[in-house]
Amino acid sequence: MPSSFRTGAREGFIAFLPLSVGLVPWALVMGMAMASAGFSPLQAMGMNIIVFAGTAQLGTLPLIAAEAPLWLILATALALNLRFVIFSAAIAPGFRGVSAPARWLAGHVLTDGVFAVCLDKMLKVDDPKWRLAYYLAPALWAWVLWQVFALIGIFAAGFIPKQWSLEFMATVALIVLLVPMARVRPMLIAALVGGISATLLRNMPLRLGVVVAICAGIGAGFAAEHWEHGRKVQP
Amino acid sequence: MNYDASLWLIFILIGLATTLPRASFIVLGNRVALPSVLQRALRYAPAAALAAIVMPDVLVVAGSVDLLNPKLVAAGAAVAAAALWRNPWLPFIAGMAVLHGLRLLGG
Repeated sequence: MPSSFRTGAREGFIAFLPLSVGLVPWALVMGMAMASAGFSPLQAMGMNIIVFAGTAQLGTLPLIAAEAPLWLILATALALNLRFVIFSAAIAPGFRGVSAPARWLAGHVLTDGVFAVCLDKMLKVDDPKWRLAYYLAPALWAWVLWQVFALIGIFAAGFIPKQWSLEFMATVALIVLLVPMARVRPMLIAALVGGISATLLRNMPLRLGVVVAICAGIGAGFAAEHWEHGRKVQP
Repeated sequence: MNYDASLWLIFILIGLATTLPRASFIVLGNRVALPSVLQRALRYAPAAALAAIVMPDVLVVAGSVDLLNPKLVAAGAAVAAAALWRNPWLPFIAGMAVLHGLRLLGG
């Protein structure tokens, strides 16, 4: 195994490790939610392995439990996953020189946290082996954590009282991802505009308001970056 | 509640609706390129997406915006803990403690 692969894997893993702690409550909550929707442990783990997406799983779960039509379940899943088209396009240049099977694997295990951690170096480093390892090590680590702690959550569901509101841990996990990003002002503006728009547009059908809000947030962040840049250049 | 075998078909279709968007540009690679302006703009996607999922969840109670609800105050505590300290568990402890503290006070 070439050493650039190994150093890339180590650096990616170390960069992602602190953030990956946030996956633990997420996965526990996911396991508990699937168990309380009435899935057997086999069905719950089946969904967890086949879908491997917290937001899409949590978003479609109530629809599956209510026996909603298949098209509505799929439309909801797609709306929740549209952001990944954007992530995929943004990180794609980081996979130049990487084989097609490795790209499919990379695509399957693309998650918000791994994208946020890996994007910068994926675009800057030249060595394709280093880049692939820097991406895959944290992505596969997230996969393992997701499966193990969902399994624990599935079996723990029966023992934890509902009043504990463990589902709120999932919200805190998203906050932990968001706060470090929002330290830069254009990012903060992108987050505020995205969040407020999603709140105002929450009654749009099929949760499409989320997609519109993300686009509004991106636009606002980009505009803020240009405005700041322009102000610095002109004395 | 019991589910029949069609549940597995639903899982596979949701799985495709997840993996295809994720793999799209990573697999297509150089054959399709986004302009660099668009790529720079797309860096704001994760922050906008995360906030778009979190904010309605903590601002809206029973269909309308409520600025004094326990979840929002608890989320504020989690944000403060995440911004001030590096310990990754603190936001969870702060958020859950405030949420349960307020519920106890509120009866």
